[in-house]
Amino acid sequence: MTTPILGIPTEEGMDISGVIYNYKVVKDVEDDFIVTVQNKDVDGGYIFQDTEDWSGKHGMRIQKSIPLTYTPIEQFGDGSIQTTGTGSVEDATVLYMYRWDGCRNPQNDENCPGYVEPMPVIPKIEIYDALEDENVIDATEETDSDLYEKKEEEREETDEDEEDEDRLELAMAASENALTIANTATQASLLKTMNAATNVTSYYVANVPGGVYNESISLNGGKIVDNKKALKSLGQDKLMNKMIEEQYK
Amino acid sequence: MNKLITLGLVIGLTGCALLMPKEVAAENIDITGTVQSRCTVNTDTPGVYGNPNAHTLTTLPASAGQLPIVRVDTTLANAYNAIISYPTSFASSPSLGDTVAWTGAVAVVQTSSSDMSGYQAGSTTTGAARTYPLSIAGTTWFSVASQATYGGGQNKAFPGGSYTAHVVAECIAQ
Repeated sequence: MTTPILGIPTEEGMDISGVIYNYKVVKDVEDDFIVTVQNKDVDGGYIFQDTEDWSGKHGMRIQKSIPLTYTPIEQFGDGSIQTTGTGSVEDATVLYMYRWDGCRNPQNDENCPGYVEPMPVIPKIEIYDALEDENVIDATEETDSDLYEKKEEEREETDEDEEDEDRLELAMAASENALTIANTATQASLLKTMNAATNVTSYYVANVPGGVYNESISLNGGKIVDNKKALKSLGQDKLMNKMIEEQYK
Repeated sequence: MNKLITLGLVIGLTGCALLMPKEVAAENIDITGTVQSRCTVNTDTPGVYGNPNAHTLTTLPASAGQLPIVRVDTTLANAYNAIISYPTSFASSPSLGDTVAWTGAVAVVQTSSSDMSGYQAGSTTTGAARTYPLSIAGTTWFSVASQATYGGGQNKAFPGGSYTAHVVAECIAQ
């Protein structure tokens, strides 16, 4: 038994009104051979089955038309040519006659009864959400604090090591001239002592005893006489100035 | 006085009508009827002659010809015979001064029922005609092969031109 599948593309609004099939039977006259062309119904059973019994007959080409009531194509399941017995079917063709009901779905044409004006399609607007942006997420991702602090510690340790190395280098360099170091230390100590001696703090805290020094001079007779020796002194000063200027001439 | 004379004339005329012999009527009444054909013949495929050589015209596809196909439909079983004849002369051709030898064959190539598969075996021939008793209602397709050879056995070349021949297919009541 063979059951080749006959495929039918389904279109809404298409009704099948008949089937025309054509095939050639190759067999010996004495052999029994039965051929059935059929099409399943999606609800179960068959929409049509047409059987030809070729038993005891000459094999030849047959063409047959099977009228059907208008049946929606959606109702059609798989079709097949089923054979039983000794013989074969060659060059088989199956044609489906149809009509097209363009208003089966009223929305196919605005002139169809029951047509409803379709709602306009609202375009979908893509809203940019920065918080959903991968680049932003990557940029704002929290840094691993442990890893960060570890790096900081490593950097500080590196700095300390460098400082130690500098100190060591300095110490090694200073050891070459211990006297210089000693002098430097002595001088520093001396300067420190001097600074201590010149500590001005004591001046700020000194307490100057205050009071009023009253004039104790008393003039006898009430007249102050000019110093007569003063003019002489002035003459000497003039001479002195002249002598000084003479040396620059 | 004048009144009486008038009355007498009226009575006289009435008496004449009663004494005349009665007239004879005759009518032809039509009876109509239509007989629907229960057997029809149609051309399914026209034939074409191939010219494999100068002296032969043939419908064989191997010689670039085309077999004519005749379709016979009957809706009544055991009521008709299909009689198919291959041509034995040209319907039109250039002037032919020599004889043309005709051969041909008629065969059932396709049926609408497996029960018709015995038509070929049950047919009879008379000359160029083959008779098929249509014992099953349905459709039968017949192919008609024909070949014309020019020259009366001398294989002369056909004159150039257009050649036409007719296949005769009939559906005759048994």
